[in-house]
Amino acid sequence: MSKNLSELSGRGGIVDNLFEKMGNAAEKSGTVSQEELDRLAKEFLVGKANTYGTVTAYDFMKPENKGKKAYICNGSACLCAGTQDKVMDSLSEHYKREEIGHMTCLGRCHENSAFHIGGVNYSGDASQKMSEIVSTQGALQPKDAYNVGSNKELLTEAFTDVDAYYSIIHDVLKRSPEEVLGEIKDSNIRGRGGAGFPMGVKWDFCRKAESDTKFIICNADEGDPGAYSDRYLLEERPHSVLFGMMVGGFCMGAQWGILYIRAEYPESVDIVNAAIQELRDRNLLGDNILGTGFNFDFKVIKAQGAYICGEETALINSIEGQRPEVRTRPPFPAIQGLFNKPTIVNNVETLAAVHWILDNGGSAYAALGTDKSTGTKLVCLDSFFNKPGMYEVEMGTSLRTVIDDFGGGFKEPVKAMHIGGPLGGMVPVSKIDDLAIDFESFSTNGFLLGHASVVCIPEKIEIIKYLEHLMEFAAYESCGKCFPCRLGTTRGQEMFAKAINDENYKIDRDLLNDLLDTLQEGSLCAHGGGIPLPVKNALHYFEDELSQYLA
Amino acid sequence: MNRIAYINNQPHAFHEGETILKFVKRVTGQEKIIPTLCDAPNLDPFGSCRVCSVDVALEEGGKTKTMASCHSPVAAGQYIYPDSKQVKKLRKNIMELVLTDHPLDCLTCEVNGNCELQDVAAQVGIREVRYPEGKNHLDRTKDLSHPYMTSDMSKCINCYRCVRACDEVQGEFVLSMAGRGFDSHIVKGNDLTFMESDCVSCGACAQACPTSAISDVFQSKAVHTEETTRTICTYCGVGCNLEVNTANGEILSIQAPYDAQTNGGHTCLKGRYAFKFYNHPDRLRSPLIKRNGKFEEATWDEAYTHIENELNRIKAESGPDAIAGISSARTPNEENYLMQKFIRAVVGTNNIDCCARVCHSPTALGMQRAFGTGAATNSISDLEHTDCILVIGANPTDAHPVTGVKIKQKFMKGVTSIVIDPRRIELAKYATYHLQLRPGTNVAMLNMMLYYIISEGWVDDEFVANRTEGFEALKKEILALDMDEMERLTGVDRNLVKEATKAYAASKAAMEFHGLGVTEHSQGTFAIQLIADLVMITGNIGKPGAGMNPLRGQNNVQGAADMGAQPHQGAGYLDVTDPEMNHRYNTFYKREVPSHIGYKIPEMFDAAINGDLKALWIIGEDVVQTDPNTNKVIKAMESVDLLVVQELFMTETAMRATVVLPGASFLEKEGTFTNGERRIQRVNKVVEPLEGTKPDGQIIIDMMNRMGYEQPDYTAKGMLEEISQIVPFFAGVKWDELGQNGKQWPVKPNGEDTQMLHIEEFKNGKGQFAFYSFSESKELEKYSKDFPYIITTNRELEHYNCGAMTRRTGNVDILTEDVLLIHPDDATKEGIADGEFVCVESPRGKVDIKALVTDEMKPGILSSTFHFPEVMLNIITSDEHCSEAMCPEYKVVSCRLRKSKGKFKQMAEASTVVTN
Repeated sequence: MSKNLSELSGRGGIVDNLFEKMGNAAEKSGTVSQEELDRLAKEFLVGKANTYGTVTAYDFMKPENKGKKAYICNGSACLCAGTQDKVMDSLSEHYKREEIGHMTCLGRCHENSAFHIGGVNYSGDASQKMSEIVSTQGALQPKDAYNVGSNKELLTEAFTDVDAYYSIIHDVLKRSPEEVLGEIKDSNIRGRGGAGFPMGVKWDFCRKAESDTKFIICNADEGDPGAYSDRYLLEERPHSVLFGMMVGGFCMGAQWGILYIRAEYPESVDIVNAAIQELRDRNLLGDNILGTGFNFDFKVIKAQGAYICGEETALINSIEGQRPEVRTRPPFPAIQGLFNKPTIVNNVETLAAVHWILDNGGSAYAALGTDKSTGTKLVCLDSFFNKPGMYEVEMGTSLRTVIDDFGGGFKEPVKAMHIGGPLGGMVPVSKIDDLAIDFESFSTNGFLLGHASVVCIPEKIEIIKYLEHLMEFAAYESCGKCFPCRLGTTRGQEMFAKAINDENYKIDRDLLNDLLDTLQEGSLCAHGGGIPLPVKNALHYFEDELSQYLA
Repeated sequence: MNRIAYINNQPHAFHEGETILKFVKRVTGQEKIIPTLCDAPNLDPFGSCRVCSVDVALEEGGKTKTMASCHSPVAAGQYIYPDSKQVKKLRKNIMELVLTDHPLDCLTCEVNGNCELQDVAAQVGIREVRYPEGKNHLDRTKDLSHPYMTSDMSKCINCYRCVRACDEVQGEFVLSMAGRGFDSHIVKGNDLTFMESDCVSCGACAQACPTSAISDVFQSKAVHTEETTRTICTYCGVGCNLEVNTANGEILSIQAPYDAQTNGGHTCLKGRYAFKFYNHPDRLRSPLIKRNGKFEEATWDEAYTHIENELNRIKAESGPDAIAGISSARTPNEENYLMQKFIRAVVGTNNIDCCARVCHSPTALGMQRAFGTGAATNSISDLEHTDCILVIGANPTDAHPVTGVKIKQKFMKGVTSIVIDPRRIELAKYATYHLQLRPGTNVAMLNMMLYYIISEGWVDDEFVANRTEGFEALKKEILALDMDEMERLTGVDRNLVKEATKAYAASKAAMEFHGLGVTEHSQGTFAIQLIADLVMITGNIGKPGAGMNPLRGQNNVQGAADMGAQPHQGAGYLDVTDPEMNHRYNTFYKREVPSHIGYKIPEMFDAAINGDLKALWIIGEDVVQTDPNTNKVIKAMESVDLLVVQELFMTETAMRATVVLPGASFLEKEGTFTNGERRIQRVNKVVEPLEGTKPDGQIIIDMMNRMGYEQPDYTAKGMLEEISQIVPFFAGVKWDELGQNGKQWPVKPNGEDTQMLHIEEFKNGKGQFAFYSFSESKELEKYSKDFPYIITTNRELEHYNCGAMTRRTGNVDILTEDVLLIHPDDATKEGIADGEFVCVESPRGKVDIKALVTDEMKPGILSSTFHFPEVMLNIITSDEHCSEAMCPEYKVVSCRLRKSKGKFKQMAEASTVVTN
């Protein structure tokens, strides 16, 4: 969080972007050459250490990524599904081991066996056509299919055409920003990214910040294994996201909407770019849109593989070409964010709701769901369900309804569900009937709604192994800035691994509890702070299974 | 608003924006009440270590939330529990994690006993590490590649303090974290050694590091120090405070105090590391008298007697005006005062000058003409209040590094910034506008700026009407100028000039800095007066964040002039020709002091050559290496009967002396230095003078007494008492009251000092506008046809002026030689490759120097330094000088080029082989 680096990186505005240039430079070989890094450092007046330090922190730019030709998904859902050994075997027939890298969750949790070759994602039975995929290099682009359903269609409402969809923008831009923001506030919509902060309040902070330049960023770095609802919106309803950002920009006085889309979703990047072009074709972007004096444009920034960029300040650092490290608050991004300018970062799903809110009124939205959790929620179900897919349910819908009515029940015995991403709670099947899809229900029961994606842990997988996987993920994706997370996640992973591999070693319960408390209380952000929750849930609900490893 | 928060249930008022950490420290008065690792006094809060966590509740004994106190602001009604059971446990647990990846070799560690990690571990009470052995970074190797900087990253705790110091303090970005998570690690450049990296050796990272992960060869953080003495750096005019660590009378290391107003915990490599000259074997240790062309060691008594006899003889034969003195801007005020007093009151002549002549004499003269006072109008701390910075003819990141990086920090953060310089200096890279003019055309450039301000109506009418005189005359002249011609002369697009001028004029408070790129010209004083016009016409004076601020070159060049080491004004700038002032001096010195102006330095040389000057006494200045037209200076040195040189080393000038007196360095004496912002600071003696040497003030006093003038032995306190009675703006300066950060003159009798000048009115009432038109340097008029290139001289960070001191430190291993900067187009045209020796010839002579091909300057413009006697660049510089102040024109020298022949060609080939 260097103010100098933010400022220097911002001299080129968002158009001439350091991070984008680094990403482009890494495209071919998998990393950025020393000469190019030094050249970029000179161009942006930053240190050689800075460009080097940045690329080494991203999976798809770091020197170790050089020469990688294929990537296999190692996300929780594919891991639990147990499909990846086979995929690896299949990949190994065509690539040397050192040419195969990892991608953590391609968002194909509904059919697993996910891998990535030449900018294209594959899953399901695609690995059976490996020879064809390898030989055609990206020509074969099978679109994955998953169920979509709803008991209240807001985000999944049928999309007719662009012109019809944007017909209400004329009215919106004629109203005052305060008035439009009032509708958002009335809707009581809370951020779908995990923290659940009211979007209207957030926009208002930024609106009040004095600056000629402001940004609204869509956090499309959906890194949580198990979640593919953002991917759904980006690929199936891109205009809902763009519309939401435009309105956000209008409300707070931002001239730029930036979509930070993860590299693991190459299709999303293309589709969103095409949607932006549709707006450009209709003169709905640029200066003085529809003669209202409103200036707004979009920029897509492709992420480069760092889960922590889902955290908004790390994401901002990333766009600046800095290391994806979490910033301290204050200053909050709404006051001093991207390039030190007021910035709002919203989740894809939150932004996608704006169109419905403005079409139907804030109070209509507020009338849906529960008192404190208004509207609907997208829930992703993985391949352990009979009907894997993405479902939109009204907030407050019981978890049982989701599992049975939408998911069609489990395919095979499941002992727990990890809901809401790696930092979400581990819900034992015994708790299903206590829970409903809303923020309060999950938190009062000691879980976290988070992204509300569901990764099932089947009976056949040992909880300790799942915990080791979780800690390994947490350690691998830790930005390394704060001491508790940098050191604690690694020590946690080591303890679980040792307990699994060394029968003479038992984890000291006090030490484990101290570690979890240290992570939870001491960490700078929700990454280190959140990882203890599923572990604590496991220790609580699976004491019998885990006690053999503890002393 | 009710600004009350509670610490352990006790209410206390907090300051707006105060962090919990600062609040608790302030209220309890206990600096270490909350342990911290990543926090540092001169860095922004960062929140990485988390050991400063505290519990915070919204009601007494209520549900608490753990917050990192370093970056969490206090809020009204908070109940803060800085040492609750939970946070104590948390801190201990974090420290336990840290120790899982830290070598436990404290007893043999360089910082044992002065390690922040050790302190915090002790404070939180770590007794064991319970984790099973895991991955670690204990096998990292040390980096001992650099003359000063060292690292042992196995000791690194990833607190980022070094990275932040390199960014937030120095602004160099040499350090960064690389990798991610547990693998994250500090890198220099793109994973290089210190020596390979772009490190500027400021040492900020080493001072910031809480362990010994980054340190220096002097082990500055080790506790073997017996004593620490605070003093002032002897290099540039920034006036950095230094804390010098000693044991057994030997200097071990230097660090920067965080509470220093001038440098707040920072220095450059000269201040922090370039001190080993002080006891270098080359130090002169005995007086020397030249007999039959050879120096012979002499006793002090013999040397004094020799000088005394010679001075008396010359005075008797040729009068006192056949004797002259050059005082030293490197020595304290008190010694300068004594030298000018000796020359004036004891010898009886005004032939006294100092090196201000060759640097900022036009500044002093020009600013006196415009404002009545020839010194910086504002303070460096005004950078906090400015929204536009104009840097003209100065390269502060090299020449005034600590102020330079403060300016660079502002540039990087986007303040409107304008650089007027023929070179694309470091600051120019970050500036909003770089007006890259042809050397010697400052007057034309400033005329253009004034033209646009007047013609576009950007004048601060109110200021001009109330505070100034002469505007109408200026306006008339300016509006008559031809912008086509100005554009052609300067070589800078008029629209760019106009835009930059608009930015300067439109800002709320614009701060001007300038250096020798303004003064060392034949029109130096005129350029200064035009800058003063620019400042006044936009009302940028007498308010915070504004003003006209010369970056004074030498550590005490401001003081040397203040003390009267100049031929036309005595101590306190009183006019020697004014009968009333003359009377005042006569009464005070109890001697008849002449009332006619004495020789300026260049006049001394001329007088020596033509036989009028018979004796010259120089303190601490290597005029042979640093004054222009070396061969002429040498001739002058060889022409006088008596050349006394007080020096630390056998410099090019000392070699030509008849008597050499070994002086003492700043580390060996006491007194005061006055920095570029008029700050009078205490120089405290760190070690005793080297055996055989004497403090320069005492040498002068010895001579005064010998020559019949009673002057008590030297003490800084006693001298200041005397000075405060004659120098009006020193009236309230007392040795015992200067404190840690000194006082900025004028200091009133009651001791009150002055951060800003000219607030209500100028010293002489109204500010004086003046117009001067451009005239081409005679150097170019005379020689540019046969000598088509222009060489302009500059400075490098690593070396100081003639380099007598810095070349005798590790700095010489970092920068080993003077080089010639040459544009790629010119290099191609002349068939010169990078690293090849070039013969540069001017009408005065020629030098051979290695080429460094760079596009820092425009084609046709060359640049170099004169730090090394091996090159003696001043052989080619001219003795053209400022028409008003006689400051030499080092910045515009006509020359021509060719590839070197003979031994230089072979040397270049040899060094290429080595490099390959």
